[in-house]
Amino acid sequence: MIEARGLGRRYGSRLALDGVSFAVSRREIVALLGPNGAGKTTTLRILAGLIAPTTGSVVIDGVELTRSTGSALRSRIGLLTETPGLWDRLTVRENLRTYARLYGLAHPDRVVDSSIDALGLAEHASARAAELSKGLRQKVAFARSLLHDPSVLLLDEPTSGLDPEVTRSVRHMLEERRSNGCAILVSTHNLDEAERLADRVAVLHTRLLAIDRPATLRQRLTTGRIIVRVAGDPAAGFDTARRIDPHASIEGGALILTLKRPEDETPALVRALVSARLDIIEVRSEVPALEDVYLRLMEDRAQS
Amino acid sequence: MTRVHALVAKELQDIMRNLGTLIPVVIATLVLLVLPFVIAVVIPSISGQSLGEDADLVKASQVVGLSNTLSTNGRVQLFLFQQFLTLFLLVPITGAMALAAHAVVGEKQARTLEPLLATPLTTFELLVAKVVGALLPTLAISLVGLGLYVAVVAGAAEPGVMAAMLNARTAVLILGVAPTCALVALQFAILISSRVNDARTAQQFGVVIVLPLTGLLVAQFTGAFWLSASMLAALTLVLLGVWLLLAAVSVAVFDREQILTRWR
Repeated sequence: MIEARGLGRRYGSRLALDGVSFAVSRREIVALLGPNGAGKTTTLRILAGLIAPTTGSVVIDGVELTRSTGSALRSRIGLLTETPGLWDRLTVRENLRTYARLYGLAHPDRVVDSSIDALGLAEHASARAAELSKGLRQKVAFARSLLHDPSVLLLDEPTSGLDPEVTRSVRHMLEERRSNGCAILVSTHNLDEAERLADRVAVLHTRLLAIDRPATLRQRLTTGRIIVRVAGDPAAGFDTARRIDPHASIEGGALILTLKRPEDETPALVRALVSARLDIIEVRSEVPALEDVYLRLMEDRAQS
Repeated sequence: MTRVHALVAKELQDIMRNLGTLIPVVIATLVLLVLPFVIAVVIPSISGQSLGEDADLVKASQVVGLSNTLSTNGRVQLFLFQQFLTLFLLVPITGAMALAAHAVVGEKQARTLEPLLATPLTTFELLVAKVVGALLPTLAISLVGLGLYVAVVAGAAEPGVMAAMLNARTAVLILGVAPTCALVALQFAILISSRVNDARTAQQFGVVIVLPLTGLLVAQFTGAFWLSASMLAALTLVLLGVWLLLAAVSVAVFDREQILTRWR
């Protein structure tokens, strides 16, 4: 389990992180979203014990990350860095074997072999890292971060630059890790990936702007727009709709209303339309895409 | 130790795949293998003037205070071969410093340092592995060169010169001074490598370590003084102490944060 408690970080006079607190439980994937320079990589580095926070603390599996606990805790953490960081002149197998030994694994060769098989790298095991494509390098780096079966995974842009097939296999592996009890924090720009993969989404821009399930975030920032499709001409229900929302309109053959309290007002709207003898085909609330939620949070931040 | 061993093995694999990095060490070794024979054997035989006729060399060779059984010419040869042996053992280290100077800054530039620092590897282990990784190939080349040096001295020098060289002083020089001096030089280069953000800068700083070495050798060549076996043994201990001090300083000043966040 990962716990970030009031993390703050300054680089000289620049404030990179300010009072960021969140937790990632076992069997959970949290996606960390934010624009460039929002503090995502800084957060991952602090959580990985690579840099210290200026304020706040990190607790991994119940143990506070300090200078004295750092080495031991790093053996529980798998970090995928922004760039693969492979030794170019070494082969895939040699790269992985070195890390397996650095993590003190009892049977490094066996672990490396199974990791190579699991990620479909057997064909490239004897190729030097310099000869690999970007996607393969990323895959090897991903294999490296999983070698020691970490209880915590910190991934910086894990599918950046990967083709859809490899992206899918990475996603499956993360889901598998999650079901094995891993706490996973993924930094990404890819909102679609965040939505598909993550149990919760954290939006960061120096401060933590929001953290919740994607559906809850969408609901929280919902537009309140209700779309009603009726049989026949929607104009027949226009007056009824106007009584509930004076700004109601007709767009694309449907009645469009904006409700302040959609949970309470939608049933009343349906009752009113039925009373007006309209045949309702569909009533749905407009669900904002995660991208809309994200952009809205960024706009709110810019205005505040 | 497993982690140090793992990283040293990686360093050696990396060097073996890029033998070009050892070219300066090999060239320095070859030059110093050939040079003494040109001076002590080839030039005198071409010019027809024996070394024993050079008053300055004879005077300088007297500080050695070695074998009385050798001829004057033989004593001068012994003096020269002893001096070049020192040079022969120490100068390749300066070539190896290029490897060490690249050690930390090279990892950073290749973007391999961050995943490495994310492992349980401690700073001490990282720095020791980097020093040993540069030291082992250097010592291997020096040892091969030493074998050749001994073989050529035995074959080309006057009878008795080789036997006179096989003494406690030579043993201390080979087994004590050379490796500890290499440790000091490489540790210094690693220290610099972890404080600068460019490999070229690290190499230029590394040259500083060559200066006192050069001064020592020039002083010996002029016959100003002669380091006996016991003095060399004491020097070995001093160098060992300096290395430990440098290693401690290297660990203390290794700033993971600065390396990760400031270097580009």
